[in-house]
Amino acid sequence: MAETASGHARTSGEAAEARAYGLTTDDLSDWAAFSPIEIYWALKHGLTSRTACRWAREGLRICDTVRAIALGMSPEEVRPWADAGFAPSDSVEASEMGIPLEAALAWREAGFILPDTALLIHEGWTLQEAVKARYEGIAHEHWYRSAGHAT
Amino acid sequence: MGELLRRYWHPVAGAAEFGRMTVKPVRVLGEDLTLYRDKSGNYGLVDRHCPHRRADMTYGFVEEVGLRCNYHGWLFDHTGRCLHQPYEETRHPAGKFKDKVRIKAYQVQEKAGLVWVYMGPRPAPQIPDWDRYYSRGYKQIAISEIPCNWLQCQENSIDPVHFEWLHDNWSRVLRGEDGPRAPAHQRLGFDEFDYGFVYRRIREDTTEDDELWTTGRVCLWPNCLYVGHFEWRVPIDDEHTLSVAWFIDELPGDTPFDQDVIPCWHAPITDERTGRWIDSHIMNQDFIAWVGQGVIADRSKEHLGESDRGVILLRKRLLEDIAAVAAGRDPKGVIRDAGSNHSLHLPLMGGLNHPAVKDGPRPFPFLAGQPVEVIKEFEHAWRNCTPAPEELATRG
Repeated sequence: MAETASGHARTSGEAAEARAYGLTTDDLSDWAAFSPIEIYWALKHGLTSRTACRWAREGLRICDTVRAIALGMSPEEVRPWADAGFAPSDSVEASEMGIPLEAALAWREAGFILPDTALLIHEGWTLQEAVKARYEGIAHEHWYRSAGHAT
Repeated sequence: MGELLRRYWHPVAGAAEFGRMTVKPVRVLGEDLTLYRDKSGNYGLVDRHCPHRRADMTYGFVEEVGLRCNYHGWLFDHTGRCLHQPYEETRHPAGKFKDKVRIKAYQVQEKAGLVWVYMGPRPAPQIPDWDRYYSRGYKQIAISEIPCNWLQCQENSIDPVHFEWLHDNWSRVLRGEDGPRAPAHQRLGFDEFDYGFVYRRIREDTTEDDELWTTGRVCLWPNCLYVGHFEWRVPIDDEHTLSVAWFIDELPGDTPFDQDVIPCWHAPITDERTGRWIDSHIMNQDFIAWVGQGVIADRSKEHLGESDRGVILLRKRLLEDIAAVAAGRDPKGVIRDAGSNHSLHLPLMGGLNHPAVKDGPRPFPFLAGQPVEVIKEFEHAWRNCTPAPEELATRG
C-alpha cells in the first residue's frame, strides 16, 4: 500500500476497513462520499468516482449503480421513480425485472413494496392473485370488501 | 435449494469434540451420515449404514486408517474404499470383492477449530479462510439444534430492524424495565460484496458517520451471519437447522496468545424447568423468532414491508444462484483459487484488532448454558494476558 488510508477515514474502524481493502489516501480522497466497501466494489467494477458521483446524485449506492450500468440505464431514468416516491434503487430493480412505473404504482397502492412486487411478478403472480393470497385466512370477507374488491 | 447449498462447505462439529470421541452421528442436508476421526487423524464422513448388511456405522470403531463396522468387521477409509473384509478374505484370499464395494463418502476438513464437510460435485471449492480466524483472542464454538428450516434462520441475518425489537425492546420488557424504548431505526441500506451483503442502519441515536452505517454488518453467503463472531445456519434437513457459532473475545495486553484447543459446547434451547424456549440470551431470542415462524415458514402468508428489503434481496439472490447452479455456473461466494484464499477480509465495525473490554471478562451474552469449564478457561486466559501494574506503568 503506497500510503495508509487512515488520514481521510471518518473513524478508526473505517480506516481499518480501508486498509483491509488496500485503499490508499488518494482513493479515500477521490471517493470522499463513499464508504470503503463501496470504493472497493466500484474499483472492482471499473467505475470512476465521477460516474459514481453522478449516479449518487440520483440516490444510488455503488452496488446499484453497477447493476444500473450493466442494464444500460442512464441516471435520468432514476428520477421519475424517485419523484413517484420509490427508493432510487427501486428503479434498478424495476428495470431488471421489466416492471413499468404504472404497474409498480398499482402494486404499491395495494401495499406491496417494489422488490416484493418484482419477485411476485417474476414468480407469475398477478396483482389480483397476490392481494387475495396475502389476506387468505384473516378476516377475508371484511378486508376484501373494504379494499374495494367484489367478493 | 439443496443443489445450491451443496456447492459450499458447511461446519457440522467442533474439532474439540473429537478429543472426547472418535465417531459421531450427523445428519446434514437430509442425509444420515457418520463423522469420524481415525487414529491417523484423518476425518471421514461416510454413510450411516454399512453397505454390507446396513449396520449402523456410528457404532463402528476407528482403526489406524478408516472406520470398521462393528457387525462383520468391514473396514472403509475416508474416500469410501473398502480396505478389509475379514471373512471374505479368509475364504477367498485372492478375491477382489472388497474392490467392488464402496461406502458413500464426502470430503471433510478441519479449519478454525471446526469440522467442515462438502457434499457437492467435485472439485470442491476452498473453505473460506476469513481474516477473523487470526485475531488474537479467546475462541469458543457453540452448537444448537433448531427445529425449523434453515432459510428463516438466515433471513434473520439481513434483517436489521429485528434487533431493535427482538433484542433491545423485548429484553427491556423481560427485565421488567419501564424506561424508554430502544432508539428506533430511521434508515437501512444494503451493499453487495464478494462474499455476501453488508447491511447498514441509521438509528435515532446514530448518524451517517457511525460505523453502523459506514461499515455495517455482514450477511455472509449463503448461510451465515458475521458480526465479529460467526453464526452458521446449517441445514440438517428441511425441518431442522444446526446453529454453529464461532466466537472470539479480545484479550487484554499484547503478548502472544495461543489456544491449543477451541472448546465446543452444546447450547440448550429449552428451559428444563418450564419446557419453554430460553429467552435470556441474544441468539436464544433469535431461535424463538425462527421456530415461532413455523417449521417451514409459510411465505405466502407474509406481509412484507420496508423493513424486509434485505430479506427480499436475499431471496432474490438465492433464486438467481439456484438458476446459476442449474446452468452449471458457480453461485456467489464460491472460492476456487487456493492462492488467494488467505485471511480474506470481512467488514467489521471497529476493525479486527480492537482492544479488549476494559472491565474484565463479561458474562457471555449470546447463548445460555455456557459450561463452567469454558468460563473458567476464559477467565484464566484473561488473567494471564493482563499486563502487571508495573508493566503498565513502565509503558507510560
